[in-house]
Amino acid sequence: MTALLEVQDLKLGFRTEGGLARVLDGVNFRIDAGQVMGLVGESGCGKTTLARAVLGVLPHHAAQIDRGRILFRGTDLLGADPRMVNDRIRGRAITFVPQDPFTSFSPVFTVGAQIMDIMKWKSPRRPADNGGARLPALLRPYPGARRRADRAAVLELLDAVQLPQPERILAKYPHELSGGQRQRLMIAMALLTEPDLVIADEPTTALDVTIQAQILGLLRRLATERGVAVLLTTHDLGTAYEICDAITVMYAGQEVESAPIDRFFRSPAHPYTARLLASLPKSEGTVAGIPGEVPSLLRPPGGCRFNPRCDRAGPECTAERPAATRRADFHLVRCHHPLAEAAP
Amino acid sequence: MRRFEIILTRLLWLVPTVVGLVVIVFAIANVVPTDPVRIIAGENANPEQIEALRVKLGYDKPLYVQLLRYFADLLHGEMGTSLYSQRPIIDDLTSRLPATLELTLAAILLAVALGIPLGVVSALRRNSLLDHGLRVVTVSGLAIASFWLAMELQFLFAMKLAIAPLNGRIAGFGPDTVTGLFIVDCLLSWDIESLGSAMRHLALPALTLALPAAATIVRFTRAGVLEVINSSSVLYQSAMGLPRPIIVWKYVLRSALISTVTQIGLIFGVLLSGAVVVEAVFDWPGLGTFAVQSILQSDHKAIMGFTIWAGCMFVLINLAVDVLQTVIDPRSTR
Amino acid sequence: MRSLRRFLADRAALLGTVLILLLVLAAVLAPVLAPYPSDVFDFHTANRLRPPSDAHWLGTDRMGSDILSRLLFGARITIAIAVIAVGTAVVIGVPIGLVAGFYGGWPGDILMRVSDVFLAVPQIVLAIAIAQTLGPSIENVILALSLTYWPFWARLVYAETRSLKNEVFVESAIALGASPLRVMVMHVLPNIASAIIVRTSIGMGATILTAAALGFLGLGAPSPTPEWGRMIAESREFLPDAWWYATAPGIAIFLVVMGFNLLGDGLRDILDPRIRRGAAGKA
Repeated sequence: MTALLEVQDLKLGFRTEGGLARVLDGVNFRIDAGQVMGLVGESGCGKTTLARAVLGVLPHHAAQIDRGRILFRGTDLLGADPRMVNDRIRGRAITFVPQDPFTSFSPVFTVGAQIMDIMKWKSPRRPADNGGARLPALLRPYPGARRRADRAAVLELLDAVQLPQPERILAKYPHELSGGQRQRLMIAMALLTEPDLVIADEPTTALDVTIQAQILGLLRRLATERGVAVLLTTHDLGTAYEICDAITVMYAGQEVESAPIDRFFRSPAHPYTARLLASLPKSEGTVAGIPGEVPSLLRPPGGCRFNPRCDRAGPECTAERPAATRRADFHLVRCHHPLAEAAP
Repeated sequence: MRRFEIILTRLLWLVPTVVGLVVIVFAIANVVPTDPVRIIAGENANPEQIEALRVKLGYDKPLYVQLLRYFADLLHGEMGTSLYSQRPIIDDLTSRLPATLELTLAAILLAVALGIPLGVVSALRRNSLLDHGLRVVTVSGLAIASFWLAMELQFLFAMKLAIAPLNGRIAGFGPDTVTGLFIVDCLLSWDIESLGSAMRHLALPALTLALPAAATIVRFTRAGVLEVINSSSVLYQSAMGLPRPIIVWKYVLRSALISTVTQIGLIFGVLLSGAVVVEAVFDWPGLGTFAVQSILQSDHKAIMGFTIWAGCMFVLINLAVDVLQTVIDPRSTR
Repeated sequence: MRSLRRFLADRAALLGTVLILLLVLAAVLAPVLAPYPSDVFDFHTANRLRPPSDAHWLGTDRMGSDILSRLLFGARITIAIAVIAVGTAVVIGVPIGLVAGFYGGWPGDILMRVSDVFLAVPQIVLAIAIAQTLGPSIENVILALSLTYWPFWARLVYAETRSLKNEVFVESAIALGASPLRVMVMHVLPNIASAIIVRTSIGMGATILTAAALGFLGLGAPSPTPEWGRMIAESREFLPDAWWYATAPGIAIFLVVMGFNLLGDGLRDILDPRIRRGAAGKA
């Protein structure tokens, strides 16, 4: 099976007042078509940065990409013509469900106007020839026939995300809708353009606990029905367990382990993963309950960045970051002293 | 319904504002030892003439009687007679309003047309040479005395280059009066020659007035755009690959303009202040020139009338801004 | 110390400070610096309207007086007007805002409604009305400006005091039995001082512009006074030929107002942390 998205050896940092923060340190990562992949780690581990790098929305004045490739269906998104990526891939083949549905809509337009603006540019019914005339973007027409077809598709999908009376919802301003309604709209917008990959960046952290599960379930169900791959970043292992097919764990800008969901929970190989799982019952599934501190990204430890907190660390762990070793099918770990395979 | 409430509150505010202004000016006139009657009567009047005039103008009555009489007259639209034109002050103010309105509206339009695009570009290219250059221009624009700028523009464009008229509002008699705004009236009667003349006369005073206003708009638009462009909604739109021009010129600009619109009331104050002196320099036959001529004549009643008139205009402008804001910002009608 | 270093690093604020220092220097040293100190009142009609030359760097005016000398002495008037008018406005506005904000209730409401009336017309219109009523003189211009501008400080202090009133340290001072006056002066005022300083610096620029406009309109000091706005007004009738006449006082007003505006912007960046620019976003 070829990867849908493959991040290869991505190394980037942010220029800050205190120097270069080395946020991603040679990250490798892949998602296959139709797969729901959880990207798990403590806050500040680089998972949001990785998601933004794939989406191409890093803060351009601060971000500094040192090396690496982001291959989507074989095309390197970092090296390809930016206009082509923006027109053909971003919002079309790769879509986005943001962290905070409260602030991610513009407050001064109705949600309908905002959805139709996305559809005007990203509808799967939009012809491939850049819409014909070379008019400035603001003046480009929205042909009536396509508009009606797009609108019908919008209404249909709003129904699918269980938003009753979609016509009325479209006429409302964002502040007139609840958080759950807004996030359902966000999910609908992410699926409307019939993408191959949806990137959902902690899509439920801003929501009420009671509706988090509903929203995640909805995302999982719709993605599976449509064969869309999902990259879900979360700091909540419980969430990941509920809806993911596989999990990649990140620590301080390095990916440490990647495994299908059953192997991940049954037979973790990296000491950090094991510690994460061990902390589960005490802290209701969040990653916070591990002793020690996440290292400074301005002056990170050499080699495997987990070594200062790791009880299995040896001198080689500070000297060199281990290469990935294959434990089983799709189970990769980057550790000099991995844990033994658990009994089946 | 919220909009209706705003309009009503603002209109009700007219009453205490006018009353307050009259009381303030009356109080000041009576705590200082100057005799307005002596000024009105002139230097050659003898004491009997002055006393006769005092009784005739009502200055012999106690202060509260004078005040009440002034308010009673005001209710009938009566502000006294202008010493300068020998006409009722209220008529002078009414007939001069369109000229000032035309000038300030032209200046606002010019300031918006210049200020908003420059503010957006300045924010998008933050810390570029252009941004720094614009900052110097806006800081300067707010520090220039408008009467001086008016004179320098007159000197350069009217006297040296002779491409603009020195002063006045139009050559010849002007178009048939419909709205009183010459540009509009010329268009209505399709008088192209007068239109050209009116626009040439308008150019320099409008430019003078527009400069500090444009500087204010650039600053507010720049700040507004910077705030919005780093917001989550722009991050979302960028991540969804919406074309950059749509994000900037539709979404960001609309949000940023909300803060700018709130400032337009303030900007109008800047313009109105500027108009008083700028009109004087360009002999623009509006309220400012009326005020200046009344100052030269020591015409106290006319200055009072002008102050009240300006206060009413100011309250009405703020009303218009509030209503405009409920239209442009859907959140404010909550 | 850090604030000072940041202030010195802000080139715009530094430029503003230098401009203001130059103004003060010009005013203090006017009798020494002016090539013809007596020209403030003397005239030499044979020498009128001469363009800039070695003898008269900025030319001469309609009375044949040296413009540079008059400009330097005019700096004294500008400083006097700005400092006294703004000082008076602060002295009126700050206590009113403090009392209205501290006690609240209907007295506070009334004080603030009164300030609303003052703010209901453009400042120059009110200043014209007051100055005209009082008659033309420098003292009356100063009085008119103070009466016009005090609500700016009252409004600011009112808002700041109201938000401070519920802070723990103010509440505990009241609970410990400190008198209201003591709380206002010892606890509230020091915490809003920086906001007042910033507003005062920016208010200086606005006041100087309005004062110059009043002088230009003939509401300021009578004729031989070297007030900058009046000098510009006098130059009008000689404009096509005597281009230098209005240039010098116009540029002087511009530089001084710019100095106070730049200083105010710089002080705001340092003293008011809420609006400090360049806050870094989350990565």
